Amino acid sequence: MTTPLIKAHGLRKQFISYKKNPGIMGSFTSFFKRNPVYKDAVKGFNLEVNKGEIVGLLGPNGAGKTTLMKMFTGIIVPTEGELKILGSNPWERDKNFRKRIALVMGQKSQLWWDIPAMDSFLLLQKYYEVSNDHFKQRIDKMSSLLGVEELLHIHVRKLSLGERMKMELMASLLHNPEVIFLDEPTIGLDLVAQENIRNFIKDYHRETDCGIIITSHYMQDVNALCDRLVLIFDGEKGYDGTLEDFEDILGSDKSVSFSFKEAQNLEHPLFQGLDTTWNDERTNVDIRLPEEDLCLLSAKIISDLPVEDFATEKLPIERVMKELMNNPEILRQRRGSLKSV
Amino acid sequence: MFKDLTLTNIGKWWITIQISWVKHTAYRLNFFLQIIGPALVFFFVKYNLWASIYAGDSEQIIRGFNFEKMINYHIWAFVVALVAQGHGSWNLAEDIRLGRISSYLIYPFNFWEFHTASWLSFQVIQMIIAAFTLGIISYFGLLIFPSFDYFLIGVAYTLFISLFWFTLQYLTGVMAFWLEETWILRVMLNTVAYFLSGAIIPLDLYPKWIVDILNYTPFPYLTYYPIKIFMGELTNLSLGLYIISFWTIVFAIINHLVWKKGIKLYTAAGM
Amino acid sequence: MLKKLSHYWDVYKKFVSTSVSVETSFRTSFILLIFMDFFFFFSSIGSVSFIFDHVVNIGPWEKNQLLFFLTFMLMIDNLHMMIFSQSFWEFSFHIKTGQLDYVILKPMNTIFSVFFRHFRASSLFNTPLFLGYLIYYGIQVNLTAFDWVMLPFLIVLSLALLVVIEFILSTSMFWLTDGMGINFLRMQMQQLARWPNFIYQGLIRKVLTVVLPILLVGSGPVHFLLDKNAWQLLATMVVALVILTFVLLATWKVGLRRYDSASS
Repeated sequence: MTTPLIKAHGLRKQFISYKKNPGIMGSFTSFFKRNPVYKDAVKGFNLEVNKGEIVGLLGPNGAGKTTLMKMFTGIIVPTEGELKILGSNPWERDKNFRKRIALVMGQKSQLWWDIPAMDSFLLLQKYYEVSNDHFKQRIDKMSSLLGVEELLHIHVRKLSLGERMKMELMASLLHNPEVIFLDEPTIGLDLVAQENIRNFIKDYHRETDCGIIITSHYMQDVNALCDRLVLIFDGEKGYDGTLEDFEDILGSDKSVSFSFKEAQNLEHPLFQGLDTTWNDERTNVDIRLPEEDLCLLSAKIISDLPVEDFATEKLPIERVMKELMNNPEILRQRRGSLKSV
Repeated sequence: MFKDLTLTNIGKWWITIQISWVKHTAYRLNFFLQIIGPALVFFFVKYNLWASIYAGDSEQIIRGFNFEKMINYHIWAFVVALVAQGHGSWNLAEDIRLGRISSYLIYPFNFWEFHTASWLSFQVIQMIIAAFTLGIISYFGLLIFPSFDYFLIGVAYTLFISLFWFTLQYLTGVMAFWLEETWILRVMLNTVAYFLSGAIIPLDLYPKWIVDILNYTPFPYLTYYPIKIFMGELTNLSLGLYIISFWTIVFAIINHLVWKKGIKLYTAAGM
Repeated sequence: MLKKLSHYWDVYKKFVSTSVSVETSFRTSFILLIFMDFFFFFSSIGSVSFIFDHVVNIGPWEKNQLLFFLTFMLMIDNLHMMIFSQSFWEFSFHIKTGQLDYVILKPMNTIFSVFFRHFRASSLFNTPLFLGYLIYYGIQVNLTAFDWVMLPFLIVLSLALLVVIEFILSTSMFWLTDGMGINFLRMQMQQLARWPNFIYQGLIRKVLTVVLPILLVGSGPVHFLLDKNAWQLLATMVVALVILTFVLLATWKVGLRRYDSASS
């Protein structure tokens, strides 16, 4: 077996910040004496990722996703634990290591604001020692895939967020990295731009078989791209497994919803004994039921009641994510029960 | 009703002043390096330089200055520069350049009010530092203190100049609507003003024809004449007041116009 | 080794060309910068000349010698403005905003990619003026042919010492997060160095010569040029440069490990 792309064991990162009371007195006292506050942004984190995998790293804001990404790329140094990316210690930041990875951050730009993207690309070409032929070939290919051929010579500050993000992606992939870290690459983009970026990443991955770690708050991203999910809550790993298993975390029941032309009688025999959630006007119901009963019951409701519209759930992952964010204990219990088995 | 309105507005000013205080002192070491550092270096360089110019003969007279008087000139030059020309209006330009003024267009508190309040807050800090510096210097017995009324006149005059300087710096700040890097304007202005106002060496040492020309400009009234007040000489006081008031008003009007024009550009282009 | 050098040279050319294309897109700033340097130059020369209207000597030097020293320092200043100055400010900004992340990721030496990043072409416009004055006062103090040959090397040496000291100071920004204060400290250091070492006395002079050898920057070479017996100061300078380079490499490494990348 080849070396894993990422291998982390017992990873921990601690940050120190200082507490300050508001107002003049607060700043006066903290001027002379500061109260440090220690916080573990990541703790006891284990992970192994192999060649060709696309791993979605999910978790609420402040869970430690970005901290992890920064440790993986060698920007910050872990407080404790073992970490090997492509077989090297990222924070030693060996030049050859840096040539083999890429990081894209949706919230930070690496392009130079005041000049066209092409100028930044040319600089990166020199940085990464990419040959002219190779450079031209990659630029042509990626810009046509992303449909930005016309924008390469426009000042970056004049581009829209979506266009800029495409340029950021190109900038990071010029040197053909083996592992790509994408930190919220679709943040703030409109639906079409999100989809463009997703398709591009998918195509790129199919062609190069590189490893990709992606964080995102959009479940469509995860659904479309990732074979594997890693959940992080409060700095700790909460889940690591396939997308399908994740969807079944709260049980394998399916969800179907119906809207009716008029208010319904909740006592109708069809609804008895089912797990239903009605809206206030009683014109819409969500029903959760085992997969095998889905077709039969739906057919019955449609034929017996004045159904206006019905839908089965498109993104079960979204429901599961929401539920877990509201009740992270579920994961803890689940882990506990797994351990006891 | 009207009275109520002004009261709440004063409240807004007060909280803004407080917040700027907090901002200024947020990073301790920075605060020291940025504010105390120049003081130390200034005295250090000036004292040593003039000591070697007078070369041990402190009774030698250069254009009416013996060593002690020369050092006092520089002490007061420092105090005047600190209080009158300390403020750089850095945040103001930054607010505009980084597009943060959108929030002022929404707040029920004006851009100029916010920045004038920050300036007031900054002035308080500068005054405290000036007092502190004077305290230390007099501890070493270097300071010749003027009579109390001269001191008060000097302080009042210096504060008046600081208002003038603020309106001028405000202008360089709002230039940020058009200019990418307004710091260049500010540094340029500082360099020229320091040199021509007598903040580097007393104007008495300059060739006479240069001083004759300078007297027609606002520059000597920014540093040289206020220093003279602190050193016990009231020359050209009322002339200075007229000139400074004139320019303060002119700049205030220009600022208003420039702001109006800039904001039109901002809202139209979305920058 | 040669390949590595040519790689860095290639990257540096790109640094220069991108800087120039940014700078020239802001034409007014570009022109104002030229004027700013210009005023600074004349106010420095003017102040010293005016003092010499009334005294004959400052320390052991007379007017032409001191002005030669000053123009030497202004020349260093001009080169410093051109090659390094902006990078210091950007560095503090990048640390504060976390933009340094991308710089760290690049497969280059980080000291190089941080401090050589921004080139300021506008300073080039004043270089002939600065150089002209330096040569004029060089003639006034009767530099020999040997001195003229040495002069360019000494300028490079002085600039190197100055920036290495400043790099070391800047490394502390990794701990301080807000680099404004350090940048002001740097400027104060430059001010100290703008006067010859003999105006300072006693302990302070020793500290600024040996511990933080900012006074060697100008005084080392100029004393040597004016009087070959003063070679010790120049030798000290070379030794200091070597030692400080090692100090820089060590502290920079520790600093990078300390960087905690402002969150996005």
